[in-house]
Amino acid sequence: MRVGYGSFAVLEDVDLTAAGGEIVAVTGVNGAGKSTLLSCLAGLHRPAAGAVTVLGGPPRDDAAFWRAVALVADEPTWYPGLSLREHLELVRLTHEPVRGWCLPAGELIEMFGLAGRADAVPTDLSSGQRQRLSLAAALARPSRLLLLDEPEQSLDPGFRKELAGVLRQYAGHGGTVVMATHDLDFAAAAGARLVLISEGRVATPGSVP
Amino acid sequence: MIAPAAAAGPPRVTAIRSFIRRRRRRPWYDWYSTGFAVVLAVILLWDLLAQPFGRLNGAGSTGGIGGAAPAQAVAGAALVIGAAAGLLVLAQALGPLALSPADAAWLLLTPLDRRDVLRRPAAATAGIAVAAGGVLGVLALAMAGPFLRLPNGPGAHRVPAAWLLLSAIGGAGFFAAGMLTGVLAQPWPRWRVRLRVAGAAVGVAATVGAVAGERWTVVSRAITDGFARLDTGSFGLIAIVAVAAAGTAALLVRRMLPHFPAGVVRAGSARAGTVLLAAAFLNVPLLTWIAEDSHWRGRRLHSRPWPRRPAFAPRLGPAFVLAWADWRRLGRRPAVLAALAVSALAPALTGAAFTGRAHGWVTAAVLLAGAMAAGTQGTAATRRDTNDPALRRLLGVDSEAALAARAVLPALLGAAWLAFALALLALTGELPGAQWPVLWPVLGLAAGPGVAAAAVRIARTAPINPADQGPDAPVTAPPWLLTRAGSLLLGVAGAWPTLRAVYAGHAEASTFGAQVIVAAVVLGGYLMLAARSGS
Repeated sequence: MRVGYGSFAVLEDVDLTAAGGEIVAVTGVNGAGKSTLLSCLAGLHRPAAGAVTVLGGPPRDDAAFWRAVALVADEPTWYPGLSLREHLELVRLTHEPVRGWCLPAGELIEMFGLAGRADAVPTDLSSGQRQRLSLAAALARPSRLLLLDEPEQSLDPGFRKELAGVLRQYAGHGGTVVMATHDLDFAAAAGARLVLISEGRVATPGSVP
Repeated sequence: MIAPAAAAGPPRVTAIRSFIRRRRRRPWYDWYSTGFAVVLAVILLWDLLAQPFGRLNGAGSTGGIGGAAPAQAVAGAALVIGAAAGLLVLAQALGPLALSPADAAWLLLTPLDRRDVLRRPAAATAGIAVAAGGVLGVLALAMAGPFLRLPNGPGAHRVPAAWLLLSAIGGAGFFAAGMLTGVLAQPWPRWRVRLRVAGAAVGVAATVGAVAGERWTVVSRAITDGFARLDTGSFGLIAIVAVAAAGTAALLVRRMLPHFPAGVVRAGSARAGTVLLAAAFLNVPLLTWIAEDSHWRGRRLHSRPWPRRPAFAPRLGPAFVLAWADWRRLGRRPAVLAALAVSALAPALTGAAFTGRAHGWVTAAVLLAGAMAAGTQGTAATRRDTNDPALRRLLGVDSEAALAARAVLPALLGAAWLAFALALLALTGELPGAQWPVLWPVLGLAAGPGVAAAAVRIARTAPINPADQGPDAPVTAPPWLLTRAGSLLLGVAGAWPTLRAVYAGHAEASTFGAQVIVAAVVLGGYLMLAARSGS
C-alpha cells in the first residue's frame, strides 16, 4: 500500500502480513511511518493506493471490527472524576457481552503495579503509570488484534519485561499483536518478528535472535 | 491467569453514559461556574441586541425617511448574513460533529452503536444551530423593521407575532441546514474546503453589499423596497423552505451517523476539545497555535535563504534576523492580509448597523479589537517562544533585542489596519469631525505602536496550566482572567486619544500629538518592563 499526508508520501509499496498468534514489531527511524501503518491497520487512515486486510476484510470501522481490534496509540483523555478502576470497568461495559479471552480488571491492576492507586484519578498518576493504565485498558477486554504504538514509552525496564510476557500470553491465546517500537530488547523479549521500515518501505523482514 | 469473562446483555450507550454520570464527582462550584457563565453571556448578549431588537417595536415608523436609515438597514442585514456565515465557518473549524475528548477516547473505538454514540453531539449541534439561527432570524427582521409594511394598518408600529415566529423559524431552519450540511461534509476534506469557501464568499458578498448600500442610496433604496414587499405569505414561504432544508439535512445526517468515520470524529473531537479549553481560559496563544498548526500541516514549503543581518545595528542584527520569521510567515499567508484588509470595513458596518452612527463605543471597541487582532498576526514567533523558549535560547539571541525587533511588525500591522479602517470611516462620511480629512488615518498610524504593545503582551502571556490555578475561589476573578484583561487595558491605554476621538466623533491636531506621545510611552514602557522581567 501507499500512504501520504498532504503532498508527503509516508509509506511506499509496503507489503506486510501478520498471522494469528504472531507478534510483529515494526521499527524504524523517527518519521519512518510506523504510527501511520498502525493507523491504517485500525482503519483511521486510508491508504492512497493498495489495500489493507484485517481479520479477513478491510478495516470496517463498525461494531464487529472494534470488538476484535484494540488500539493503544496516544494517551487517551481520561474522564474527570472517574478513578483508574472505574475506567477499566468502563472498558468492560462498552464491550459487553464479553466473549473471549481477557484479563479481569482486578488482576490487571495487580499485575500492572497499580494496586495502590486503583482509586486515584488517572491524571494524578505518573506518565509511566498512565501508560500502564492505557495498556491495561486494552487487555481488559477480549480482542483478536492488538495494535500498540510504542507501548514501551515511559515504562521502566523491569515492567517492559513483564509487558513482553503478557503480550506473549495474549499471542498464545491466538491474538495477533502489531506494535511500533524503538526498543529491540523489548521486541526480543516478546518474541516478536521484526519488521524494519526505512524510507517508507519494508527493509528487512526477519526475526530478532 | 487469563480467564473467559461472563457474558452479559448488549451494551447500550445510555447505560454507559449513566455509568459515567453516576460515578463522576463534580464539585458544586462546577455547576455554579457554568450557570454564572451562562447568565453573564445572556446579559451581555441582551445588552448588545436590545437596541437592534428595539426596532421591532418601532417598525414601519421611519421607512423611507432620510438617507442614513436605508443604509443602516442594509448594513444591519449584511451584518446578520455575515455573522451567520462566520459562525458556520467557525463551526466547521470545531467539527462541527465532535464528542468530548474523553468520549472520543473511550466510547468511539468500541462495539457501541455509532449512531447512539454520535446522537447526542449531533442533537447538540442541531440544537445550538436552531437557537442561534432563531436569534439571527429575528435580528434580520429587526434590521429590516423600519422598512416593513405592517399588515395591522396605518399607524401600527409593532411587528406581528406571526412574522416574529416565522422569522425565527426561517433563521433556525436555514442555519440548522447549514450546520448539518457541515456535518455531512465533515468526512470529506474537499467538501469541507468548498463549504468554507462558500461561507467566506457569502461573508464577502454581504460586506460588499453593505458598503454599496452605504455609498449609493439607490442600492440601499432598492433593498429596503424589497423589505417593504414582504408579507405574511413571504415569511411563511421562507419558513417552509427553511424547515424543509433543515429536515432534509437532518435526515441525511441521521442516515450517515452509523457509518460516520471514527478517525474524523477523533480528530475533530481532539481539536474541538483543545479549542474549547483554550476559549474557556481565554487562551489566545493556544487558539492561534491550533489555527497555525492546522494551516501548515501537510504543506511543502519553498525554502528560501534567510536575509543578511543588517549592518547598521550589530547588536540588533541577530534579533532582526530572528524577527524575520514573522515577516516570512505573513508573506506566505496572503489570505490573512486580505482578510485583515476586508475586516477593516467592520467598524463602519457594525457602528452603522447597531447604533445608526459610526462613532460611539461600538465603533471604538471594534477598532481596538481589530487593531489588536491585526497586531497579533505579527507575533506568531513570539507566541511560539513563550510556549517554549528553547529555540530562542538555542539561537542565542539577546531577549531584549529580540523583543524590540519583534514589536516592529505588529506595530506596522496595527497602524496600517487602524489607518485603513479610519480612512474608510472618514471616506464614507461617518467620521466627519476632523480638522483635516487626512487626520483620521494619520491618527490610526500613530496609534499602531500603542496597540502593538497589547499584541506583543498577548503573545507573551503564558498558556494556562490548569495545575497552576491555585485554590478554587469561584466568587473572585481568577488570576488568568486578570492577566488577560491586562492586555486589553494596555491596548486601550496605547490608543486612548484615538479611541476617545472616535467615541466623540471629533479629532483635532492636538489629538495626533497626544496619540504619538501616548503610543511611544506605552510601547516603550511595556518593552522596558517586559525586558526587565527577563522572560
